[in-house]
Amino acid sequence: MFRNYIKIAFRSLWKNKGYSALNIFGLAIGITCASLILLWVEDEVNYDSVFPKQDLVYIVPTNQTFEGEVYTFYSTPGPLAKDLKDEIPEVTKSSTTWGGEILLSDGENGINRYGRYVSPDFLDIFSLNFLEGELKGALARPDGIILTQETAAALFGSDKKVLSRVIKVNDEYSFTVTGVVEDLPNNVTFGFNWLLPFERFQLGEEDMSWTEEYGNNFADTFVEIAPNSNFKEVDNKVRAIIASKMDSDNGIPNEAFLHSIKDWHLRSDFRGGKKVGGQITFVRLVAFIALIILLIACINFMNLSTARSGKRANEVGVRKVLGSSKKLLVSQFMMEALIMAGISALLSIVLLLVLLPLFNTLVEKQIELRLLEPVHIFSLLSITLVSGLLAGWYPALYLSSFRPGQVLKGNGKNQGSATIIRKGLVVTQFAASIVFIISSIIIYQQIQHVRARDVGYKKENLVNVSVSGNMVDKFYPIKEDLMASGAVENVALTNSYMLSSGNNGSGLSWQGGVNTEDVLVRFRYVSPSFFNTVGLDMVEGHGFNEDRAVDSTNVIITQSFADLMGDKSALGKTIMRNDINYNVIGVVKDYLYGDMYGNGKTGPVMFYNNYDGANAMYINIRPESSRTEALAMIEEILKEYNPAFPFEYRFENDMFNSRFRNEELIGELSKIFSLLAIIISCMGLLGLAAFTAEQRRKEIGVRKVLGSSITGIVGLLSKDFMRLVFMAIVIAIPIAWFFMQNWLESYAYRISINAWAFVIAGAIAIIIALLTICFQAINAARVNPVKSLRSE
Amino acid sequence: MIQITDLKKSFRTEEVETLALNGVNLKVEEGEFVAIMGPSGCGKSTLLNIIGMLDNPTEGSYNFAGHEVGGLKESQRTQLRKGNLGFVFQSFNLIDELTVFENVELPLIYLKMNKAERKEKVMKVLERMKIAHREKHFPQQLSGGQQQRVAIARAVVTNPKLILADEPTGNLDSKNGIEVMNLLTELNQEGTTIVMVTHSDRDSHYAHRVINLFDGQIVTESQNKPMKAMV
Repeated sequence: MFRNYIKIAFRSLWKNKGYSALNIFGLAIGITCASLILLWVEDEVNYDSVFPKQDLVYIVPTNQTFEGEVYTFYSTPGPLAKDLKDEIPEVTKSSTTWGGEILLSDGENGINRYGRYVSPDFLDIFSLNFLEGELKGALARPDGIILTQETAAALFGSDKKVLSRVIKVNDEYSFTVTGVVEDLPNNVTFGFNWLLPFERFQLGEEDMSWTEEYGNNFADTFVEIAPNSNFKEVDNKVRAIIASKMDSDNGIPNEAFLHSIKDWHLRSDFRGGKKVGGQITFVRLVAFIALIILLIACINFMNLSTARSGKRANEVGVRKVLGSSKKLLVSQFMMEALIMAGISALLSIVLLLVLLPLFNTLVEKQIELRLLEPVHIFSLLSITLVSGLLAGWYPALYLSSFRPGQVLKGNGKNQGSATIIRKGLVVTQFAASIVFIISSIIIYQQIQHVRARDVGYKKENLVNVSVSGNMVDKFYPIKEDLMASGAVENVALTNSYMLSSGNNGSGLSWQGGVNTEDVLVRFRYVSPSFFNTVGLDMVEGHGFNEDRAVDSTNVIITQSFADLMGDKSALGKTIMRNDINYNVIGVVKDYLYGDMYGNGKTGPVMFYNNYDGANAMYINIRPESSRTEALAMIEEILKEYNPAFPFEYRFENDMFNSRFRNEELIGELSKIFSLLAIIISCMGLLGLAAFTAEQRRKEIGVRKVLGSSITGIVGLLSKDFMRLVFMAIVIAIPIAWFFMQNWLESYAYRISINAWAFVIAGAIAIIIALLTICFQAINAARVNPVKSLRSE
Repeated sequence: MIQITDLKKSFRTEEVETLALNGVNLKVEEGEFVAIMGPSGCGKSTLLNIIGMLDNPTEGSYNFAGHEVGGLKESQRTQLRKGNLGFVFQSFNLIDELTVFENVELPLIYLKMNKAERKEKVMKVLERMKIAHREKHFPQQLSGGQQQRVAIARAVVTNPKLILADEPTGNLDSKNGIEVMNLLTELNQEGTTIVMVTHSDRDSHYAHRVINLFDGQIVTESQNKPMKAMV
């Protein structure tokens, strides 16, 4: 019996190649799409799962209160890790860490790499796997460095034995390799290429006493707690610890708490000190969308299968007459659906293998299809089975319910209920596609909107280079050389990148302000050339003096800071920080930093004339000079002063754009989803149009005999379908509006939804549907009526 | 074998109710060959469908070989039909995706017969219908007459007690038509009961008895002298 089913399934597939291709291809697209997304979801959900102790390991963020609002930061005081371990028995290990980029060199070969300064417990907390050296004591000596396998290979080539070799850090400090650890996979929340002892994070011999104070939040703290300890109890002890270490009269004390590294990647959005989700929302949304695509593909399948029922009706009749029960027929048709789904799955494996590299580029991951792994093979089988069953059940029930008495006489064509259901399915498909199209348009508009946002300074020709070697000491000679080259307008140093929120603090007081201690102020330490270089306009007052001694107690502030100092001019007013009075000599316009989607009310910023701690050099290239030539020139000059360091630069505009990566990913995905959805839907429409044209052959023949033109017939056939598409548009608009309004509301700086998005999406859907239908309708309309009328 | 008493069948489409059969009484003995005739729309096919258990009567009783069929559910009718009834249609109704052999084999599969037995039976009946050389062909590769022989082979492969034929020669030329009628006559002579709907006077002469149906009622019944199979 089974063999008979399979045989007939394959033969009927082969006999109706066109339909089968539409069906299989549509379903394959659905399965491929769902598989890609599920692979992505798997990668997201398994973030940090490489760490075997992820159930016991916590990062310790702090809640800090400013002006009555609670903000959550990962930065913690330096001594927190040690005190947690010393004072809370359940905390068995703890590590303070600090990340940064350094230059590693072995002789001539130098590479810039990001890594971490950590305490020894770190190695154990994250169970790092040592390929050379051993975990115990790897960070014991102050000049020991641990490298990852990849970094070791980049430094020393294929040399296997690198233990005890000495390398230079930042072309100045010597470190001895005390271990090589296995590379971490891509899906860890923080990666690192090297590990250094925490106490060396300034590398040199600077005064580190400030890191021992509770007043400075700067390091990331990790703890491991004992198995079987009560989380709530431990968390409460952690929450109490900072308050016990600091004076209580300094306002609301900061509160450290435990945040599981299992939640680190997916649930790390905090509002008012409470976890409010995070990336997980995005993951769920994407998974949901994948499900919708799969559903559209299944609907397609149902639609095409039932549309073809006229052809299958006869077979159903014969089988029933010959003694088949309805149950047997249902299983036969289900079997066919499953076979189709199976073929689609095979096709989608091919598609997956082809598309995965492209998909990886898109989502910036390194996902692999590991078909031999039970999880993957099981998931693929499940998707196939579910889509086969989902797609097959309706056609199976519908087809098997034909009454042989009617269909065998050739009058089994009154498919009233089926037609309504089929139309409903087409409307659903199209509505979903249109929702996707509208969403793509609105997401695109929103991204464009933010990109076009005025950031308050001129980022177009701005290049930044991270400070390395003696760029600070040699700032003036470098600057002179760069400007003498003719390609550069101006050069500046700053301790903070323009886009980042950077260094901040509170507890200041100033003239004309109330409750000033609570206000969070950003601090920028810059060279006098800073404002001209980045193009930050002066509202009043003047810039810094080239002689920094003149400005030792002078500051420049932003407009929003000036506003906090009362209505009158802020010039000449004083600001007190750490018992020193600073005199306001200039006010600059506000500019955008931190959250690019914020409402534009950026907090107050205070600039000092001091670039000793600079991290970044900003270079403004003359707009008229060629970028490539200018960059080559800059490289040459920087190499001259800083030969050991590779030249790495970034355009401010690129950095700005990279801020929208998540949004752009949503945008890209929604574009792809809309394309797929509309393709699959059109395949369904094509099949349905072909079916209708066939069913109405006789009517078309009669109409032609009675004098109807081809255009008239095409219009007649198209009208019905266009009505469905219009219905889909009507259904899609409120749904899309609802979802997009919700999405937009998460951004303070956003567009308001414009009717054009709906008009354009509707037009796209109508045009594509018309093209699809017309093709079939014209074919049907051109048939010689003699032929169609003779067929009964 | 068949005892039909006061049978009524009505179809309802939205507003209109059509009475297709209006009080039909019919008795068919085992081994009989009965032809049902009448103009289009007189209810011939409806009657045949009910006799073939493809449809239920609205009213009245239908007794088949001692079983009351009238109120049976579809699945019960299917059970009763299996192996007992064979069907031959005007448009052959072969399954296009199956070969000649597979088409004929189908009813045996539904009877859950084992493979060896099926093969033996199918080959025997194909040889008898002189179509065995075409066993691997698909229906569309055959002529109309050949297709109808396959259909008859399929109808008789289970050795049914009753064969129902709905205008079996309607789509055939006269030569092939005569051939098919000869086959049916042979089967009848071997003891199979046959009920046949036909438009053709020639075909009706093969039957023992001709029933004329008009507007859902039997108007006349006439006895024929059974014809010998024509060669």
